[in-house]
Amino acid sequence: MKTDDLIAALAQDAEGARSRKRTRLALIAALGLGLIAAVCVVWGLGVMRGRDAMMPVMMKSGFSALLAAASLPLLARLSQPGRPIRSALIVIAGVLAVTAAAFVTAMMGEAPEARMRAMTGGGFPWCLVFIPILAIPAAAGLFWVVRGLAPTRLAAAGAAVGAAAGSLGAIAYSLYCPIDSPAFVTLWYTAGIGVSAALGALVGSRLLRW
Amino acid sequence: MAASDESQLQALFLKGLAGDAAAHRAFLSAAAAALRAYFRNRLRGAAEDAEDLVQETLIAVHTKRDTFDPRYPLSAWLYAIARYRLIDFVRRRKRRGVAVPIEDADAALFSAPAQDAAEARRDVAQLLERLPEKQRRAIQLIKIEQKSVREAAAITGWSESDLKVSAHRGLKRLAQLFREEERA
Repeated sequence: MKTDDLIAALAQDAEGARSRKRTRLALIAALGLGLIAAVCVVWGLGVMRGRDAMMPVMMKSGFSALLAAASLPLLARLSQPGRPIRSALIVIAGVLAVTAAAFVTAMMGEAPEARMRAMTGGGFPWCLVFIPILAIPAAAGLFWVVRGLAPTRLAAAGAAVGAAAGSLGAIAYSLYCPIDSPAFVTLWYTAGIGVSAALGALVGSRLLRW
Repeated sequence: MAASDESQLQALFLKGLAGDAAAHRAFLSAAAAALRAYFRNRLRGAAEDAEDLVQETLIAVHTKRDTFDPRYPLSAWLYAIARYRLIDFVRRRKRRGVAVPIEDADAALFSAPAQDAAEARRDVAQLLERLPEKQRRAIQLIKIEQKSVREAAAITGWSESDLKVSAHRGLKRLAQLFREEERA
């Protein structure tokens, strides 16, 4: 086909660009449904914490929601060609700096002999495994929506999908997670979301091709 | 793209987004020229590959035009898509194992020493059988029977550019078949 013919054919189709509103809706749906699905898994397994743990659960899911919110500007920018990402990276760096400060403050607040336990929670930090697993539903939806947009840096966009989905997975995980020490949460939840982001970058360059 | 071109192009693009077909067409034509220069620069000599990429990118620009945000420069958006299509093209080619530029493939396939010519011809004939009809005819006429593109066009009734593309694609496919044979 000649390029001029192609241009003529495409120009015939001038109407019918997708609206940006629909894209935003699809993004919100992917996030919402992904979170609901992950919560349903925790609920279905019957491992939700009781009412008496309301306060720490709120703290942990609030922290995870903050990380989710921090990852969204980056995700939005990497989904569309030619957007500068600096300000989105600064947002993430800022939230990570606050997290690090919270971690240090929490550690200082513990007695020296209790610090190790506050940090490790006294065993293997299972959130490193469970947060990425609970991130899968949201990641599936987000990969689908983002691929329908036009990501041009696939590994980076995959990492952003992984971070956002991992944060939602962390919200769901916090409904079960028996460890409430702030030092533990700031360190290992962030690490679990980091693992999700790394996995997202790995599969992103395949799953996001368009 | 100069600054005035940029704002002009953006005006056309936005009118096109609003449903103005003539403006959309003018935008696509201007974009095609810019993209052609971009790809030819980066794929030195491979004009047909460059044109394939121009077309792929135009389709992407058209179908993904809702991802443009007028707060950012149009050229950044356009070239980000072009760059992505170029990277994707190089990756696809690598995966298929066709790294030979087309001129070299041409030489490798058809410049066998004279004494081997009959033998080589037979091999090529076998492989030719495995090509799609159109590509086979194009190669037969232009590369083997050494007809000019115009003569070949007169014989087949296809357009010259059509023949050139078919011959080009056919050669690529042949080069690939050759490699598979060698490995087997």
